[in-house]
Amino acid sequence: MRIRGMRTRGLRVRGRPVRAVRGWRATVGVLLTGALLTGLTGCGPDVKAVTDLGAVGGQRVDGGTATMALPPAAAPNWIFPIAPAGYGATYNSSIQDLLYPRLVTPEPGKNGELTMDSPRNLAGKIRYGDGNRSVTVTLKRGYRWSDGKPVTARDVAFWFELVRANKKEWGSYTAKLMPDNIKRFQVLDSRRFRLRLDRAYNPVWFTSNQLNFMKPLPRHAWNPEDEGPKKAFARLSQHAKQLSKFDSDPLWKTVAGPWRVEKWSPSGRVSLVPNKRYGGPDKPHLDRVVFKPFTTAGSEFNVLRAGGVDYGYIPPSVMAQSRHFKKTGYRVDPWESWGITYLVPNLNHPVNGPLFRQRYLRRALQSLIDQKAIAKYVWHGAAKPTLGPVPSALMGRDATPYDPARARRLLASHGWRKDGGTLRCTRPGTGAGRCGKGVRDGQKLHLELLSQSGSTETSNTMQAIKSSFSRAGVALDIRQQPLNTVLGTTVPCKRKEPVCKQWQLGFFGTGGSWIFPADPSGERLFSTGAPSNMGNWSDPRTDELIKRTEYSDDPSALRDYARHLASEVPVLWTPNPAYQVSVIRNDLRGVQQNPTLTFAPQDWYYVKKRGKGGTAGQGGGAK
Amino acid sequence: MTAEALEGLTATPSLARRTLAVFTRNKLALTGAAVLVLLLGFCFLGPLVYDTDQVHTDIAQASLSPGTEGHPLGTTDLGYDMLGRLMHGGQTSLEVGLAAGLLATLFGTVYGAVAGYFGGWVDAVLMRITDAALAIPALFLLVVVAAIITPSKPVLILIIASVAWLSPARLIRGEALALRSRDYVHAMRLMGGGGGRAVFRHIVPNAIGTVIVNATFQIADAILYVAYLSFLGLSIPPPAADWGSMLSAGITYTQVGYWWLIFPPGLAIVLVVAAFNFIGDGLRDAFDVRLQRN
Repeated sequence: MRIRGMRTRGLRVRGRPVRAVRGWRATVGVLLTGALLTGLTGCGPDVKAVTDLGAVGGQRVDGGTATMALPPAAAPNWIFPIAPAGYGATYNSSIQDLLYPRLVTPEPGKNGELTMDSPRNLAGKIRYGDGNRSVTVTLKRGYRWSDGKPVTARDVAFWFELVRANKKEWGSYTAKLMPDNIKRFQVLDSRRFRLRLDRAYNPVWFTSNQLNFMKPLPRHAWNPEDEGPKKAFARLSQHAKQLSKFDSDPLWKTVAGPWRVEKWSPSGRVSLVPNKRYGGPDKPHLDRVVFKPFTTAGSEFNVLRAGGVDYGYIPPSVMAQSRHFKKTGYRVDPWESWGITYLVPNLNHPVNGPLFRQRYLRRALQSLIDQKAIAKYVWHGAAKPTLGPVPSALMGRDATPYDPARARRLLASHGWRKDGGTLRCTRPGTGAGRCGKGVRDGQKLHLELLSQSGSTETSNTMQAIKSSFSRAGVALDIRQQPLNTVLGTTVPCKRKEPVCKQWQLGFFGTGGSWIFPADPSGERLFSTGAPSNMGNWSDPRTDELIKRTEYSDDPSALRDYARHLASEVPVLWTPNPAYQVSVIRNDLRGVQQNPTLTFAPQDWYYVKKRGKGGTAGQGGGAK
Repeated sequence: MTAEALEGLTATPSLARRTLAVFTRNKLALTGAAVLVLLLGFCFLGPLVYDTDQVHTDIAQASLSPGTEGHPLGTTDLGYDMLGRLMHGGQTSLEVGLAAGLLATLFGTVYGAVAGYFGGWVDAVLMRITDAALAIPALFLLVVVAAIITPSKPVLILIIASVAWLSPARLIRGEALALRSRDYVHAMRLMGGGGGRAVFRHIVPNAIGTVIVNATFQIADAILYVAYLSFLGLSIPPPAADWGSMLSAGITYTQVGYWWLIFPPGLAIVLVVAAFNFIGDGLRDAFDVRLQRN
């Protein structure tokens, strides 16, 4: 599972592991129960009728149960929407959003871009004033809590008070951003509130990357005694640690979203049923949605093949077998993420840092990475080339396409000559035709890559890159380590620090190196001294362009930033893998795979099978 | 002694001849030896007649099925020729397995012989170290060490030998305990011979049958250890390959039916391990004095 807006860390947020709540007995129990029920009811897709359906169209039939497979070893374990570090994985936040919806939700637009004006937004009008120093939000009419009380601006203020008083406990907290950048929260009336900001911000950026955190919480149910925010937060957090009571604790019964919790087992199986008092336009069509945990991808795959889940996934290596699933009534659809993937060069490495600081050399190395072929043959189509510092849907063209001849020319024209199969600098110094500042006479173009282990596709990608580098005379040693080791080593550093000697190139992008929030600005990635600027990139022009994306409402700001960094190549772009290769029952429709990795089962519905009176949904409902 | 009796004694074949005679009567052992020779030839002489690029990938040629022109055994998921890779990977598996097995046997033999011959506190200390090390699961140790150190051929040999020497040490210590009370050892001591001479000139040579038999099993085990570690992703970094890592890579494609990535390396591991075990069984019989008399 990815963490939005963060360097992906598997089940980690801000450096702490998610508390995995699972036990083999429970998991086996879940699987056996599922298998037994499947066997008893004789369900599983009616293959012929479902296969005949195709992937679109069909007559909607309300009702039924849809079962979605959770990622391997992912067990939802946090229900309180203000999650501490380590509990912010997307499977937690996505389920929380179904119970406690956000003010604004990013949705994919027609051209692959993300929009923030989804009909399911709780916020109606969002008006910026005072030179973009204040923002007034009006909540939509008709939203009620499940106990009948209306959703009000005071409920949003309750979220803000809790976050402001406990920001260090909030996993999504970044200094100087939310809630630090809000000077005052004014409740204007029951549906309107105003935020006074600490300076002028780009409204698009602020709505996408700051306002999207906000959500109303039921003040009347969660803080009836009107305790102080610190005390209230401590009490709510205490309740949130009692995983076995998520489905029975009265606290979590008051929801505003389209779903409410029916069952939440400590092993991670979560079953939601519709909230009958939900006031939004996207009311659920299904009777129930079940999120099913799996300890490994292999076990999920076996259950999927047996028809035990309606919405699962397959490893990219099995893409060649997608025909099998299509024949048995499923569609295969890679779930692309709103992210980018790259190899990070350590610009402060004492030996090879001076090499990486040469723009021509970074461009030459980039020209040796055949992203299209790697995406096609290594990822079996479940990845797309990364073209720059923003998702490729927003990039027009590849500024540094695969061109080994150009790479060789670039290197040769700067004084690199082959010696024993590896290039050596023969013209040190600065100026035209020279190796560049800091590169020693006779220095070998011999690099070391620290890459995450555990993925065949990643290992093969690195081998393909090594091979391509080797043909051009660039030696590359690959050292594979578990993800946490790579993340712990590839940190921003200064040249004389011991950790800076430990890595030259780093890769931690098996699931994408970086997943953006809605607005793909680079303040946390490429600005000087940014917390996730692992390669120590520092460029005044980049900083200036990033500030523009953050503060200015000029729509060209993001484009200029993207173009500049695409040509500067601060990191080596590599194919961005799909979040997962989804396999979805043909008669389950309305599934939109949001690139920010949230899901909206309220949009899902079954369609009538062809040539039969029944519906696929009825079959699914028996599971 | 009569002349007939003397004639009978002189006609008795030498120890080596008798050993060879017993060994060659064991058909499984002979089959094992033949398979081993074939595999050694395949891995080390094969590349001389079937030359392939096992360094650079060719992803456009990935996962071609056997029988494709130029690739009789198909290609891997990175486009390496499978037959060539099998030879290339076999070299690593056999080199590491043989070296680690022999190193473990050598060290274990000396260690066990010293403990057994000297006895007393030396034996107690040395054997408690062995017991303590044996109590830790070998695979666990291997995985931990291999995860800390980037494996290369010499490193892999040392890592595997470091856990494999324990078994021969205990075995030879038992032999040494029995041998040290023999008359010829006492005689050597009376003539002024030291402990080193006793161990290296008398104890070890007289336990050589046990050592050789154990060595064959150690080599087989070491080849399996290489496969275990590679299967767990702790192999020598690519483009180097060994049968274990090839098998591990092939398993990824079980569901898509790429059998040629799984069966050849799997079969090769089974064959070489079985061959060493058969040879070991044959040698054990061959060194058995009672069988030689028969």
